[in-house]
Amino acid sequence: MTQKELFHIAESWFQQQQWKSFPFQKQSWKAFLQGKNGLLNAPTGSGKTYALWVPIVLNYIKQNPDYKNKHKKGLKAIWITPLRALSQEIKQATERFAEDLGTQLTVGIRTGDTSQKERAAQKRSMPDLLITTPESLQLLLASKGYDKTFKNCSAIVIDEWHELLGTKRGVQIELALSRLKTIAKDLRIWGISATIGNLEQAREVLLGHQSEALENSILIKANIKKKIKVQSIIPKEMETFPWRGHLGIHLLDEVVPIIKKSKTTLLFTNTRSQCEIWFQKILQKYPEFAGEMAMHHGSINKETRLWVEQAIRNESLKAVVCTSSLDLGVDFAPVETIIQIGGPKGVARFLQRAGRSGHQPGKTSVIYFLPTHAIELVEASALQQAVQQHTVEDRIPYLNSFDVLVQYLTTLAVSDGFHPATIFPEIKSTFCYQAISEEDWKWILNFITIGSQSLQQYDEYKKVEILEDGLFKVNNRGIAMRHRLQIGTIVSDAVLTVKYLKGGYIGSIEEWFISKLKPGDVFTFAGRNLELVRIKEMKVLVRKSSKRTSKVPSWMGGRLTLTSQMSELLRNELYKATNEEKKSPELIALSHIFKKQEEESIIPGPEEFLIETFKTKEGYHAIFYPFEGRFVHEALGSLLAYRISLLSPISFSIAFNDYGFELLSDQEIDMQQVIDNDLFTKEYMHSDLQKSLNATEMARRKFRDIAVISGMVFTGYPEKMLKNKHLQSSSQLLFNVFRDFESDNLLYQQAFIETFEHQLEEGRLQQALERIEQQKIVWKSCKKATPLSFPIITDRLREKMSSEKLEDRIKKMVALLSKK
Amino acid sequence: MLLIADLHLGKVSHFRKHGSAVPQNAIQKNFQQLDHVINVFNPSHICFLGDLFHSYLNNEWDVFEAWISQRSTIEFVLVVGNHDIISPFKYEKIGIKVASEILIDNFLLSHHPEERDGHYNFCGHIHPGVLLGGLGKQRLRLPCFYQTEHQLILPAFGEFTGTHILEPIEKVNIYAITQKEVILVHS
Repeated sequence: MTQKELFHIAESWFQQQQWKSFPFQKQSWKAFLQGKNGLLNAPTGSGKTYALWVPIVLNYIKQNPDYKNKHKKGLKAIWITPLRALSQEIKQATERFAEDLGTQLTVGIRTGDTSQKERAAQKRSMPDLLITTPESLQLLLASKGYDKTFKNCSAIVIDEWHELLGTKRGVQIELALSRLKTIAKDLRIWGISATIGNLEQAREVLLGHQSEALENSILIKANIKKKIKVQSIIPKEMETFPWRGHLGIHLLDEVVPIIKKSKTTLLFTNTRSQCEIWFQKILQKYPEFAGEMAMHHGSINKETRLWVEQAIRNESLKAVVCTSSLDLGVDFAPVETIIQIGGPKGVARFLQRAGRSGHQPGKTSVIYFLPTHAIELVEASALQQAVQQHTVEDRIPYLNSFDVLVQYLTTLAVSDGFHPATIFPEIKSTFCYQAISEEDWKWILNFITIGSQSLQQYDEYKKVEILEDGLFKVNNRGIAMRHRLQIGTIVSDAVLTVKYLKGGYIGSIEEWFISKLKPGDVFTFAGRNLELVRIKEMKVLVRKSSKRTSKVPSWMGGRLTLTSQMSELLRNELYKATNEEKKSPELIALSHIFKKQEEESIIPGPEEFLIETFKTKEGYHAIFYPFEGRFVHEALGSLLAYRISLLSPISFSIAFNDYGFELLSDQEIDMQQVIDNDLFTKEYMHSDLQKSLNATEMARRKFRDIAVISGMVFTGYPEKMLKNKHLQSSSQLLFNVFRDFESDNLLYQQAFIETFEHQLEEGRLQQALERIEQQKIVWKSCKKATPLSFPIITDRLREKMSSEKLEDRIKKMVALLSKK
Repeated sequence: MLLIADLHLGKVSHFRKHGSAVPQNAIQKNFQQLDHVINVFNPSHICFLGDLFHSYLNNEWDVFEAWISQRSTIEFVLVVGNHDIISPFKYEKIGIKVASEILIDNFLLSHHPEERDGHYNFCGHIHPGVLLGGLGKQRLRLPCFYQTEHQLILPAFGEFTGTHILEPIEKVNIYAITQKEVILVHS
C-alpha cells in the first residue's frame, strides 16, 4: 500500500468521527512511516495519542495487507506512561481506532495494579500494544527470555516525556531503550513532551548521545497556542491579611462565589495536607457543597481517584480540591475554572494547570491565583509577566546515576544474564552514562559481584555471580525475588496502607506521621475523620470517628522551589515596588506592607543586596535576601554559615524560603566583619560548600534514594511485606558506615554530586554570587521583625551548622534546661 | 566485670550475604572497640547483655572465635537476647557461658529491661538515644545511658546499629555519649 492509500484510511476514519487531522498529526504519521524516530511537542487534549498510534497501525497494515482476516500475533508497540491513572484512557483511545479499522489488534495494560493472573496470560501471549510504566518495563527486562518478547516490536512511545526527563525514572527509560535498540531491529522511538525550555536536549536524552537513532530523528511541534488569563484574588482588607502562612484558608469566602459561578472548578494545592485541609474547611463552612465536591491526591486509593476523574467528565462535580496528581494527562472538557492556591513556584507547572480548563481549541483558559500570605502577591504579579512572555523552564536530566545502573545490571542478571562486553557500549550510548569511564564500569561490576573492590577471604557477599563462560547472572532465588520487588518501589518514606477494621482500602500514609499517633487518636485522611485502632504489619487499621480533629497527615518531599526563571521574574516585580509608575494591582494592594517594611528597613532595588538583623527571645536573627528560590538559599545559607563559623566558634540554625534565608544563633553575628571579610565571594565556593556540615546532611537524605535504588536497603512492597526484618536497616545508618569506612564508594559519592547539582543547584549559586558581587550590600539593624522577614523566621523546617565543639554544645543545652 | 550490650556481631556479613554491600571494614571496628575497652578497664569478666550475634551463623563467627581464643584470661558470659539464635552449644564450645539472666546480689543482668522487686536491673535491647535542643533551634541526637531508680539501660555497643530516642522524664538520669566524653544531660 502506498502512503497515500494508508493516509486515506486514517483520514476517512477522522471524518467519520467528524474530526479534522492537525498538521502536526500528519507530520508525525509521515515521519513514522518513513522509519524515523522523534519527539513530538504537543499539549494534553490536542490529539497527541492519534498522532502516534495511527502510524503504528498503518505500519502494521502496510506490512500485513491481509490484516482484516489474518492476525499476526506478538508485541508490536509499547506505550509508556508515567502515571498508571492515564493508562485506561490511552487504552480506550487506541482500541477504538484499531477496532474501527477492523485490524484485530489487541491492547493490554501492565502496571503495578495488573493482577498476577493477567500478567501470566500476557507472558504467554503479549497484546499487540502494551501500555505500561517505566517500572513495569524494567520488570519485563527482569523476566526470562525477554528478548523474544520484544524482538518484533516496531515502536515504543514515551508519553509525557517531560515528566520523566529530570527524574531517575527517566534514566530507567534511557537504559531500557539502549537494550531494546539492540533486540528489536525495526524499532522506532518516539517521545511526547509538553513545552519545556530544553526540547532539543529532551530529544537527545531520549534517543541517545550522538546515536544513529538521534541522527534519524525529527522534532515536531504542534504549535497550539492557548490563551491564558491570570486573575489574582486580592483580599478586600489587606491590612488584616497575614504576613505568613501557607494555607490561604482566610480567603475561603472569596473562592466560593467563583466555584458557584462556573460549571466545574479545580482547586490546585501544593501539598496533600493542604488539599485535605481545604476540602474539610470548605465543607465545614459551606455544607451545601456536600456531594458536589471531591478531593484528589496521590495517596488516595485508586478507585476513588478514578471515580473522581469520571465524575469530572460527567459534569457531576462542582469542585475538586487536588494536587499535582491532576496535573497530567486526562482530558477534562467540563472544567471551566482553575484556582491555584499558593505560589506554583514554576512557570511551566502554572501554565500546565491553567491549561486544564477550557480544553476546546480557541477557548481562553482562566486561572485564579490565591495568595496564602501577603508577599506571595508579588509572585502572582510575576506570573502575569511569565504568561505574557511565554517563559518556560528546562528539565535537567541526570548524569552518571550509578544507583540506577546497579539496579539495571542486576535486572539483566536476574533474567537471562549479561556479558559486560555487549552491555557496556549500549550503556555508553545513553545520555546519562555518556561519560562513564572504563574504571567506573569496572567498579560497578565489582560492586555487584563481590560487594567491594577487592576480594577478601572470609567474605560471603552474594548477589551477581560470574559463570564460567563469563556470563553475569543472579542464581540465588531470594536475591532475584527481592530485586524484582524492589524495582517497583517508588522511592519515598516507608509507606503504610490505611484500611478499615472491617476491610476496605482508603489510601496510603507515611510512617513518620503515623508513628506520632497513639491508638485512639483521631486524624483526618481522604476527607474523613478516622480513629487509629492499631498498626499491624504494614497496615494502619482505623475506624470512622465523629470526633473533631486538627491532625492532618503531611507528606514529606512536597516542597517545591522557585525556578530560576520564576525567581528572576519575581525580583523584577519587587524592584517595581519602589518605582511608582508601572505597578500591577497586586503591588498596589501590597502598598501598606511595603510601607511597614520601609519603616524598619528598605525594599531592595536592582543594585542592592539587603541584610536585616534583629533580636527576639529565640536568639539573634540575620536575614539575607537574594530572591533566588529556596534551593539556592539553602546552599547560600550553609555556605555563609560555614564561613562565619570560621571566624569564631558558633552554632546556627538556617531557615530559608523562596525570597531569602535566615541565620539564627544564640550569639550575635558581627555583620560588619561579614561584610569586611567579603564572605559572599565566589572563590572557593565548591570546597567551602563541601566542608559545610549541611552538605553532608543533604547528601545523607539523597543517599536514601540511592541506597534503595541500588538495592543496599531493602524496603519491599507495603502490601507484600516479607519476613525481612533482619534485613532492614536505615539508610542513615548505612550512610554513616560508608562515611567512616568506605568514603570512596561511588554510590556514596553520588549522594554528594546529586546534592550539589540537583539540590543545591551549584550553577545557579555561582550566578547568584556573581550577581551579589555587583550589588551594594545594605545592612539594616532593625528593632523587630520586618514583613519581608516574617515568612522566613517562622519556618520550622531548619538546617543546622556548628563550629563549636560537640561537648560544649551539649553543656550549653544542659545549662539552658536547668535554668528553666 | 565489664557489661556490653547489643554488639550485633555478624550484622554486616549478614547483609552482605543477602546482597547488600555494607563496607567490610565496619566488621573490624567492633573488635577494635572491644580491644580498646579491655585495655582501659582490664576486666576479669565480660558479660554480653544480649544481641551478641545479629542473626544466623556466618563467617564473622570465625573472626569472633579467633578473637575470643586470644583472650583466655577473661571469663565471658552471654545473657541471651532476642537476636541470639545461634545454639548455646556453639558458645559453650568456645568458652562462653550462656544464661537467660544473671543475678549477682541485688543486681539483675538481663537483655530486656525488667522490673523486679528488690533488684537493680542492668539491661540492653533498647539502643537508647537522646534528643537535645538548644537556643537558635539547635538539635542533637546522641546515644546514651538511661538510668532510672531501679534500672540502667546501656547504649548499643555495635558499630552498625541505630538508636531509639527515649523521653527524658522525671527521676531519670540520661548520660549522652560523644567520641570523647560521657555527659550527664538530664537529671
